[in-house]
Amino acid sequence: MSSQAQYGVQKSMTGVKKTGSQMSYLCAACAKPTEIKPKEPIRCHDCGHRILYKKRTPRMVQFEAR
Amino acid sequence: MAPSGFKTLERQAFATNPGQKHEYPDTQKLTAPHIESFNSIWERAGPHTPPLIDIAVSLLERQVIFDGKGNDGSPFGNKIKVWLSDVRLDHPTQSMREEKGGRLVFPTECRQRSATYRGKLSGVLHYQVNDNPEMTEERNFGQLPIMVRSNRCNLQGMGPSELVRAHEEPDEMGGYFIVNGNEKVVRLLIATRRNHVVSIQRPSYANRGPGYTSWATQIRCVRPDQTSQTLTMHYLTTGNLLVRFSIRKQEYLVPVALLMRALTGASDREIFSAIVGGDAENIFVRDRVELLLRASKEHAVYTREQALAYLGDKFRVVMYAPEDMSNADIGRLLLRQYIMVHLADARDKFNMLAHMVRKLYAAVSGECQLDNPDTAQLQEVYMPGHLYLGLIKEKLEDYLLGIRAEISRDVRNGKVDLYNTRYLARVFSKVNVDIGLKCNYFLATGNLVSRTGLDMQQMTGYTIIAEKLNYLRYLSHFRCIHRGAFFAELKTTGVRKLLPEGWGFLCPVHTPDGSPCGLLNHLAHKCLLTTVVEDTSDVEKTLMRLGVESGMPGPALRDAGLLTVQLDGRIVGYCSESVARKVAEALRALKLQAQRMREMRNRRAGFVDIPMTMEIGFVPITHGGQLPGLYLFTTPARLTRPVTHLATQQTDIVGSFEQVYMEIACLDGDVRPGVTTHQEVLPTHILSAVANFTPFCDFNQSPRNMYQCQMGKQTMGTPMLSLPYRTDNKLYRLQTGQTPICRPRIYDDYGVDSYPNGTNAVVAVISYTGYDMEDAMILNKSAHERGFGYGSIYKTEYVDLSQHRKSGDPITKRFGLGPDVLGDAALTERIGFDGLPIPGIPVTDGDSLYATIDDVRGRTRISRYKGEKGYVESVRLLGSAADDGVLQVVAITFRIPRSPIIGDKFSSRHGQKGVCSQKFPAVDMPFTESGMQPDVIINPHAFPSRMTIGMFVESIAAKAGALHGVCQDSTPFQFDEEHTAADYFGEQLRKAGYNFHGSEPMYSGVTGQEMRADIYIGVVYYQRLRHMVSDKYQVRTTGPINSMTQQPIKGRKRGGGIRLGEMERDALIAHGTAYFLQDRLMNCSDYSLAYVCRCCGSVLAPIAVPASSHIVDLSSPGTLDAKPRASAQFAGLSAAEARAIMSSIGSAASGSVGRGPLDMMCRLCQNSENITMVALPYVFRYLATELMSMNMKVKLEVK
Repeated sequence: MSSQAQYGVQKSMTGVKKTGSQMSYLCAACAKPTEIKPKEPIRCHDCGHRILYKKRTPRMVQFEAR
Repeated sequence: MAPSGFKTLERQAFATNPGQKHEYPDTQKLTAPHIESFNSIWERAGPHTPPLIDIAVSLLERQVIFDGKGNDGSPFGNKIKVWLSDVRLDHPTQSMREEKGGRLVFPTECRQRSATYRGKLSGVLHYQVNDNPEMTEERNFGQLPIMVRSNRCNLQGMGPSELVRAHEEPDEMGGYFIVNGNEKVVRLLIATRRNHVVSIQRPSYANRGPGYTSWATQIRCVRPDQTSQTLTMHYLTTGNLLVRFSIRKQEYLVPVALLMRALTGASDREIFSAIVGGDAENIFVRDRVELLLRASKEHAVYTREQALAYLGDKFRVVMYAPEDMSNADIGRLLLRQYIMVHLADARDKFNMLAHMVRKLYAAVSGECQLDNPDTAQLQEVYMPGHLYLGLIKEKLEDYLLGIRAEISRDVRNGKVDLYNTRYLARVFSKVNVDIGLKCNYFLATGNLVSRTGLDMQQMTGYTIIAEKLNYLRYLSHFRCIHRGAFFAELKTTGVRKLLPEGWGFLCPVHTPDGSPCGLLNHLAHKCLLTTVVEDTSDVEKTLMRLGVESGMPGPALRDAGLLTVQLDGRIVGYCSESVARKVAEALRALKLQAQRMREMRNRRAGFVDIPMTMEIGFVPITHGGQLPGLYLFTTPARLTRPVTHLATQQTDIVGSFEQVYMEIACLDGDVRPGVTTHQEVLPTHILSAVANFTPFCDFNQSPRNMYQCQMGKQTMGTPMLSLPYRTDNKLYRLQTGQTPICRPRIYDDYGVDSYPNGTNAVVAVISYTGYDMEDAMILNKSAHERGFGYGSIYKTEYVDLSQHRKSGDPITKRFGLGPDVLGDAALTERIGFDGLPIPGIPVTDGDSLYATIDDVRGRTRISRYKGEKGYVESVRLLGSAADDGVLQVVAITFRIPRSPIIGDKFSSRHGQKGVCSQKFPAVDMPFTESGMQPDVIINPHAFPSRMTIGMFVESIAAKAGALHGVCQDSTPFQFDEEHTAADYFGEQLRKAGYNFHGSEPMYSGVTGQEMRADIYIGVVYYQRLRHMVSDKYQVRTTGPINSMTQQPIKGRKRGGGIRLGEMERDALIAHGTAYFLQDRLMNCSDYSLAYVCRCCGSVLAPIAVPASSHIVDLSSPGTLDAKPRASAQFAGLSAAEARAIMSSIGSAASGSVGRGPLDMMCRLCQNSENITMVALPYVFRYLATELMSMNMKVKLEVK
């Protein structure tokens, strides 16, 4: 379990370029991905909509069935 | 009765490719009263009627103010006149500077951001100083909440495909407002029928003052802009009649003779003949009119001008009349604004007043009956749009009055300069004009803040939240109609009665039981509310052509037997009873003919425009019945419904007034040739949309159908299809919904298949193990594992970082993971660098959820999840409206799985609810010869007393349907004595090779033995109700206590206890369970140890004294520690044990030295000799203190 957690962190560290860098979200209106930097206003770069959804993790998600 | 079919493929095709046309147009009609009444405010209210807002604005009085700088020519000084025009409402747009042209705002955005769906309200302010040219100025009245799918909504005219693209339901019905993210519906309220005189008798009227009696007539007059003014005419013992009306919630009483004289200048003789008519033999009326006229002599008013001046003099102040207005003009203004406001002409008002007088005398003398204001016949509806307009109109008037008050104040201070445009501009902008904000408050709270009261009886409770618990619940919000909050407090139950006049308009089944029973009704599903202001000029012409004699009081003087003909509360003429009957028949024929021509788009020259919704209420002469006459109504807000006209087989629209006097057959067998003119389209039309979904409801005892209407609305079902775009606080969702095999035809009309509400279950009716006693039900564990009743809850929480920030302060908190916690692997696993949880992660109580960075301290704060185990479903980042800064608001949606567990509530569709008592393993379940196992076992005792035969019928019908693979029609009123449901479905079962009666031999799952009786087993659609043990269980050993009494607090949420009250205590005493009582009331509650002085018996006197006053042996730590040790020793013990220990210590101590064993001393006795410790409820100490404050001493006799 602990090794899995370790693996996950390493992957996420490599997956995103660097700490505190921009994140990608999905626009609630046009569903296009939008890159938002920290402290940047929340707006879709495409349509100007002001609601963004956080993406699901790219990591594998596995739950125990019971 | 061919099976209607599941239409699976059609629905599949439509769901994958929604078109431009609504698949279920009937659903759109359910909210029509809301939307159409709102639409009529802003766009044409009828074929020849402008928008209601324009009428309302034109009815506002122009405000006139003088600056008081008078001279000889103009004694009051310069005059300014202020009025409004062109009030307009825009579509909701993003009011942003950076956006060019303004981006349209759609409802889904408002819901998700918990904002208000609103558009700009603006108008033109006109003003004129003296006789100078008129000036105009554009005014902004703020952002007004807009009804979804109305003509000001951006979704207007959208088809399903576009609606889906706009993240709405494909069949979005609208009809609600979005206020702060909540969907708010303005409730329909019952009103008295407009422009119609009702005679009433109320005991309270007799208490109004000396001379008053309980008799009165009342008329609710409605202005063309749909605001109303009620007039009540009181009958006094002196013979005088007083007309009562209210101006700004203040009541005024005026003698009727004075009003009649002021209206037309009628002489005594004219008034006499207008009231008495040709009925000179009627001594009762004649005497009273004489008294009435004699009483009017005391005012010494003889002409019209005198009467107007008299009224104007009295009402000058309340009317806010300008200084330069003459008394007579103010009198005219009063008559125009408050007396018979539905009529424009003074002569018409006079006639109507005379009619009111006549009806009052008729009611008092017993010539006609008293009207019952609780019948649907004399009722209509306060429409949401009309109410909203009334509010807007009043706020517009408030603006004008505000300007007036502002200028008047400046006049007093001498700062006024009407010729200075900058001064005026300042005044106009100084007055608060945010009408949008006020309407927002109205919708958000349901409170009507009003100066005039809008002629309404209640001030609160106008709006409700349209909860999307499931489709049925949501639907019924728009169809519910309330009698008014006033009637809820009434002790008498007359208003709650189900009356035959409501047949076809109000559903007899769909009303809650309990306190709102009979007050909160629902409209029958085909009941329509009129919203169009009709054109009646053709009606009037036709009446004259058909033989109605016009002119007042001419014809009535000749013949006392003539009846009045009233059109929308205006007396248009007279005719005899036989003529009236013929006129009514002819009008109906013409009305239907006009409709035929309209449908054929054939408007020839001779087209007579009789509105289709016109009511033709012919009241024949009876002995002491309703006042005879021909009453025609074409106004909006009436209850109407479709029935079939037998002669033409055309659909006729029938209103609630005329229905009472019409011959409408229900079924074919009820038609009486020569008498019956109409027939119901379908007998199910009397039921509401929700009541119609109960299968075979005609087989059930009626209260069970009422229960089903309630439970259908509490079911965990499919609330919506647009689930990913919703941020409702709490949503219940059934994951494994199915369409019922047994369903009424109406299912397809309302598209309920898109929103399944339950699961088909194989149900056996056996008393199997005892786990199905008392409405418990046994669930098959395998059925549960296959997904029976599996549901989940979606909860949304808003996190607003700026909540505690004052406006103007800089933003200091933002979401994010700071460098101080980045190394924490367990954290970065769950929370992204933006500080927000990654959608999909599981959360349990205490897990880290999101992180915020405090820029001032540079620290990261981790916020934790509180609540039930679940998953993060979605995370929404909500940008601020001002578009200026960092992310501050986030909405996190959690999904909490709720698989059925023991204690969850289920119900069939027949008011048969039960709690799951056991999940039986499949091996232990009984099985049939074919190997079938039931999913659910219920007890046969559930049936005899409840008589839900419909459930039996559903069971065999659905069983046969399942065997043949067809959908069964369960529309009520399809079977009769000759052709029974049992035979029909039994035959189908027989064809499938099953027992005709639906019962089968079964074998015990435990022993394998065949049971002695055949078991009734079939398929029943089961609903899972939202009441689940997980939300209700309450358990506690120790926990939070009240700091004052040390007793456990109450409330499940706070971990409190359940009260063991007086009655429970009585039961325990009766059982002699003393130890248990002691345990509940003492040891598990506020057990405490207290020092008591044996000498004076006080619990309060013993105090701990400073050690210096004692001879304390400092070398021995034991004496100092004695007290804490003692209490620690006693803490975990029961009272009896503590006492035993106490006594042993006490005896040991008293034997040793000359001071108490503990460091205590009695303040009253000034000794520490006799202090001992007893166990007491902590509140007792509080009681003793309270009593001490009242100079009472509590003495305990401690041995």
